[in-house]
Amino acid sequence: MKHLIASAGLAVAGLTAPAFADAHANAVTLQLQWVTQAQFAGYYVAKDKGFYEEEGLDVTIQPGGPDIAPPQVLAGGGADAMLNWMPSALSAREKGLPVVNIAQPFKTSGLMLTCWKDTGITGPQDFKGKTIGVWFFGNEYPFLSWMSQEGIPTDGGDDGVTVLKQGFNVDPLLQRQADCISTMTYNEYGQVLDAGVSEDELITFKYEDMGVATLEDGIWVLEDNLEDPAFVDKMTRFVRASMKGWKYAEENPQEAAEIVLENDETGAQTEAHQVRMMGEIAKLTAGSNGALDEADYQRTVDTLLAGGSDPVISKAPEGAWTSVITDQALN
Amino acid sequence: MTVAAHRPARLVPWGLALGGFVLIGVAFLVGWQLALVLAVWLALWAVNVGVAGTTAGTWAAPVLFGLTLLILWELTVRLFNVPGVILPAPTQIAVALAENTNTLRADFVQTVLKGALGGWLIGSTAGIATALLVARSDFLRRGLLPVGNFVAALPIVGTAPILVMWFGFGWESKAAVVVVMVFFPVLVNTVAGLADTTSMQRDLMRTYGASAGQDLRYLRASSALPFVFNGLKIATTLALIGAIVAEFFGSPTFGLGFRISTEVGRLNLPVVWAAIVVAAVTGSLWYGAIAMLEKRLTFWHPSQRGRR
Repeated sequence: MKHLIASAGLAVAGLTAPAFADAHANAVTLQLQWVTQAQFAGYYVAKDKGFYEEEGLDVTIQPGGPDIAPPQVLAGGGADAMLNWMPSALSAREKGLPVVNIAQPFKTSGLMLTCWKDTGITGPQDFKGKTIGVWFFGNEYPFLSWMSQEGIPTDGGDDGVTVLKQGFNVDPLLQRQADCISTMTYNEYGQVLDAGVSEDELITFKYEDMGVATLEDGIWVLEDNLEDPAFVDKMTRFVRASMKGWKYAEENPQEAAEIVLENDETGAQTEAHQVRMMGEIAKLTAGSNGALDEADYQRTVDTLLAGGSDPVISKAPEGAWTSVITDQALN
Repeated sequence: MTVAAHRPARLVPWGLALGGFVLIGVAFLVGWQLALVLAVWLALWAVNVGVAGTTAGTWAAPVLFGLTLLILWELTVRLFNVPGVILPAPTQIAVALAENTNTLRADFVQTVLKGALGGWLIGSTAGIATALLVARSDFLRRGLLPVGNFVAALPIVGTAPILVMWFGFGWESKAAVVVVMVFFPVLVNTVAGLADTTSMQRDLMRTYGASAGQDLRYLRASSALPFVFNGLKIATTLALIGAIVAEFFGSPTFGLGFRISTEVGRLNLPVVWAAIVVAAVTGSLWYGAIAMLEKRLTFWHPSQRGRR
């Protein structure tokens, strides 16, 4: 009985959630893909400096965290839009969750592998026989794709890489449990340096330099919602104000970091860390006005498809992005 | 010994049947899908009522109930188009189980055989051994039990990352987490069991001039057994939980906990449910095995006597 009620209730909620989500033509809920930090400064700046208000929007920013998968939140009707890395979103799309990219504030990738220099690693082929820490929860796709292209199996052994499911910290490197770990240029790399390791003890491989970079933080929404003109209008205003926030943050990193700190409810972030992060993030958002560059999109799709025996996606996605919103927002 | 009922199958009373039809009729106003689900459910319930109490019913009723749940689940998900990322249908889960058997088998070996079972054996042995020491010394009992209590109260989500850092990413750290979780329940239960003797029995042993060893072997070991099994059964549940949750905090790329957490991230919910099914079946079988062993060794205890 309870099961029936629960499943019927769930079904009803699933059907009506999208309707609830944009019952207000001006309310937007954004699901971040990690905790409050300068990686999302543009949105916090737009909120604090009143850019959203100017557009007549009431925006709620929901921080993410470990074990929160933004695609799932979107699927459950918990948000209007989510931030997600393109590989993760395209994979979700292939799994049957019809998400569509409406804007791409991040032009370049900040993902890199940080290794101890004394492991003797000088290039990707040296990864064989080594232990590498990889994040999961949507962040493993660029790495798996890269290894597939290099022809290195990821299930251990002397000819393959032993993969560790890395938590969101840098301990596996410091404790020598892994030879390399995944880091973001704007976050974990700094944490390794803060732990007392000097730059000459490390060797890094930026995914951009290796030619295997994929697009990162983009704004994604559910495809069905794009058929509602009120939703499209709302998101157009949202993207316009968000990009204004990003450009302001790029030009005023100190102020942006302070705004992020004010919005950090956990109190876990520090000013020095956020200022450094904002500086690095600005390098990634520079060069993008918010519109998704089709060439970048194609490069990401090609990287994902090239993953030989273990491709992240099995065929080129169709209708995975739209310029409808950015065309209107940026004119 | 169960006294089996010997009554024939019976029908649902007509009043309830009428109520059922009315409910289905009303449901038609909402939608034919809801009506169909309700109709199937009520029909299976009626069958279950029919067999309940008959000899065959003792096994048929639970099986029928389980099947009813699965059928209703499948119907609801299909008819109401519930997205697969929210709740997959049982058939999808079965397919995921079939397609991922090798992966799940490797996960099972890593999490259950190495992590959970290893930790359970070490933790239980340590718990029983410590209990034997504690039972002999009042001083130890007053000192160790509060410490054990404290250790058992440490939240696993706090201890697991620390133990991963100490013991590395492999199964050893998962076994360590299980040891921490399992040690205290087994210790406490064994101590209680060793003490569960009446003064008459203790006096009798003294009269016979029994040494401490003989006293333990002939008197207290028997009295302790039901309690020890109680502790071991609790420990099996904790061991499985501990091994799976500990993997959320750092693991190689296999293991049930790893599988559940990463496939949730990849929105592969059927595989997640398949891993859950593996864990649930394992837990039930393990618990059942201990319970069967208990039945054999402590047949004399009131808890083992059959229900009327």
